[in-house]
Amino acid sequence: MIVELFILVILVLLAGTIFPLISASLDRRFVRTISLSCTIVASILLGSLSLLNLLSGEPVFFFLYQPIPLFSLSFVIDRLASFFLLIVAVVSACVALYFTEYIEHMDGQSRRNLLCGCTNLFILAMVLIIASANTLSFFLFWELMAASSFLLVTYEYTRDETKKAGIFYFIMTQLSSLFVLLGIIALYTQTGSFSFSTLSVVSTPLITIAFLALFVGFSIKAGIIPFHKWLPYAHPASPSPISALMSGVMLKIAVYGLVRFLLNVFTPDLWWGVLILAAGTASAVLGIIYALKEHDVKAMLAYSSIENIGIIFTGIGLSVIFTALNLNNLATLSLLGALFHSLNHAMFKTLLFLTAGSVVSATHTRDIEHMGGLAHRMPVTSALFFIGAVSIAALPPLNGFASELLIFMSFFSSSFIVADSLLKVLLFICLALFALTSALSAACFVKAFGSIFLALPRSPESAAAHEVPRAMLIGPGILAAACIILGVCALQIFAIVGFAVPLPDMLLVSLLLIGMAGLTYAVLYFTASREVRVSETWGCGTLSQQASAEYSGHGFSEPLDVIFSAIYRTRTKNERTFFDQKNCIFKEGTGEIRLLKVFEEYLYRPIAEQSMKVAQCVARFQNGCLDTYLLYVFVTVIALIIFLGWFA
Amino acid sequence: MIDTAIVVGIIRILFVCIIITAAYIISTRNLLSVVSVYALQSLTLVCIALALFSLEGSIILLAIAVVTFVSKVIIIPYFIATIQEKIRIKRDIEFHYLNPTTSLLISMALMLVIYMALSRIVPETPTRDSLFLFGAVLGISLMMMGMMVTFSRKRAITKVLGFLSMENGVLLFGMFVTELPFIIEFLIIIDLIILVILTTILSVGIDSTLEDYHKRLHRFHLLEDSEEAP
Repeated sequence: MIVELFILVILVLLAGTIFPLISASLDRRFVRTISLSCTIVASILLGSLSLLNLLSGEPVFFFLYQPIPLFSLSFVIDRLASFFLLIVAVVSACVALYFTEYIEHMDGQSRRNLLCGCTNLFILAMVLIIASANTLSFFLFWELMAASSFLLVTYEYTRDETKKAGIFYFIMTQLSSLFVLLGIIALYTQTGSFSFSTLSVVSTPLITIAFLALFVGFSIKAGIIPFHKWLPYAHPASPSPISALMSGVMLKIAVYGLVRFLLNVFTPDLWWGVLILAAGTASAVLGIIYALKEHDVKAMLAYSSIENIGIIFTGIGLSVIFTALNLNNLATLSLLGALFHSLNHAMFKTLLFLTAGSVVSATHTRDIEHMGGLAHRMPVTSALFFIGAVSIAALPPLNGFASELLIFMSFFSSSFIVADSLLKVLLFICLALFALTSALSAACFVKAFGSIFLALPRSPESAAAHEVPRAMLIGPGILAAACIILGVCALQIFAIVGFAVPLPDMLLVSLLLIGMAGLTYAVLYFTASREVRVSETWGCGTLSQQASAEYSGHGFSEPLDVIFSAIYRTRTKNERTFFDQKNCIFKEGTGEIRLLKVFEEYLYRPIAEQSMKVAQCVARFQNGCLDTYLLYVFVTVIALIIFLGWFA
Repeated sequence: MIDTAIVVGIIRILFVCIIITAAYIISTRNLLSVVSVYALQSLTLVCIALALFSLEGSIILLAIAVVTFVSKVIIIPYFIATIQEKIRIKRDIEFHYLNPTTSLLISMALMLVIYMALSRIVPETPTRDSLFLFGAVLGISLMMMGMMVTFSRKRAITKVLGFLSMENGVLLFGMFVTELPFIIEFLIIIDLIILVILTTILSVGIDSTLEDYHKRLHRFHLLEDSEEAP
């Protein structure tokens, strides 16, 4: 049953890829609609098969095709895989639903068909990665995912910004593939097979190398600091549904890879867990600090993705540490937290990217300082964005709260159990930073929601914005509902899949809250006076209220800018000249505030410059002159002779 | 049969001849004499082949001697002499990377290095084998010196001569060490002849007018600007 469903999913996605490609020159709506319908159908099938498997818990193994002896296309769907398949299914269904309408408002005429095809290919690649039963096919589909996502990012290739982002993304994603391949090769050298089988030996240098390579590879893809820089470039450059897919699902594929290798292949050391925890915590804190500073709504969401991936890595790191310390209950708890947060992040981040896409297409700007006042003009979108923002800020009773609570709980419980005092200190530091992250992400999304949707519109486009078509509301709507259900019924959901977690029963709390709200409303309804007053909102006593006088996003984040100025490396420069010598009569002056892009200027650029230097040196060898090449042959022969005589 | 010791002595003298000719090809600036020296070098090879034949009696060595004589002493030098007559370049004074003096010094060092390398590989054995060691060393050195000529000279014609000299090195090495199959030796020689014919065609031209051809001659450094004038 599951095998047939899976093959059907593959076939439908392939059909959705090929159909728009063969009718690439036909700029008709139905081509794209059919292609995206394929995505939706495949997602529904995928979702049902993964739910079936998740509930039954029986791993399904099946074999498709073996072209060469060492390599076979075989798949295994166990509970971990079906969990991630579920994420892919839900997100792709909602994105495809949204995309059917969104794509009709995009530029590019018949090129949009290719966009649909590539989207299907991208989803197919991710599905196949998750189901891969051996490391070689894992890598193969990993590359397919990298290539198709690159095509998706560079859809609007005529814009300079997109070109830059595309090249940046391409380099980073290839680096990621390189490291993953290195890890797989190291594993192969150790075990002699490409299967996901548990290593017999505990730890050799080769295994450590394999782990480090895989960790770096997955970190690049997941956007862990300091490998994160492609996210804030690629997400704003690509179409919003694509950003949603990449942030919602593709980053989770990297998480899946890490978890799969950690659970099925390695027997992790303690320090591996510390490494993952440290990387995760650093990403979480720095990611949200950078997000606070960002005024491009999609770049802000990208940084927030970095933060959330950091949280997920924190959970994974904790789980590895507890496994190494033989605290299996805690390990399960933190891993569950990490996985649940993966699911939740997929839901609310996709929701936020999609609604942000609606906002951007309505206002034609990504700068939140030029938005404002959209709550009246796009009420449903703003409500959906609000649900996403509340979820991501981890406010109860929504889903972000439930998963972060799980990770918090494993932190708290560990402080009583872990004996090593050094480790205890580390855990406390990480806990403090993690708490800071939660607070900051709440601040960040208060700012985002306030600047985008509240107050008066700050630009003519914003003032002229209106609600998006219904198809662009249904997709995010489903996700918003999922956010609520996953948060409210978290305890029940865990009980259904067979885990007893120490979560409070949010269902009860929510029912109580709703009852209280209903009661309050009823009391007010019957007791308050019905007199209607029409007046302006109080504006601090100014005569007329103007958009330019509003509390802007910059203003909101200014105190945090000051607090974290050491991290932002803000350079403030004031230059003033005066008419007189005592510096009393001001003549003229300039002031500038410059943000140092720390990682870009101190890490990426030096590496890029060094690579360019090396490349130029190498390029000089190839000068097109026959004599030079003969000289190389000559030198090589001499070297060979010397090697033969003295070293062979 | 002649006494073995005498033959070995003769071969050693011929070795010295080969070194001298190779050194001359590397160092001279006079184009006309290079061809004659090349012919002389090939002739020396013929002599070595004959001497070896008298030692070993292998009929293949005789065949090699004959083929080498016909091709490398007569046909190829003839063609090259024809080219030189047509393009009227007397001197080759442009160099890449190495000038003649450096080339000479390097080739001396090379011979030393190759000798040391080979003597480490080949175990120490009596007289005749040491002759073979010398043959191998000289063969490789000649090859390398020929290669040095090909990349250190700018003129195509000298490059061709360097290449031919390299092939002589291969032949020498083959005669002493590996016993190249005759058919391969023969094919190499045919290749060489075709190469030289091609060079002839390229440098002299099969076009009816010379004006068309000047550009191409320039590209191969075969024609000076001053000689372009009618």
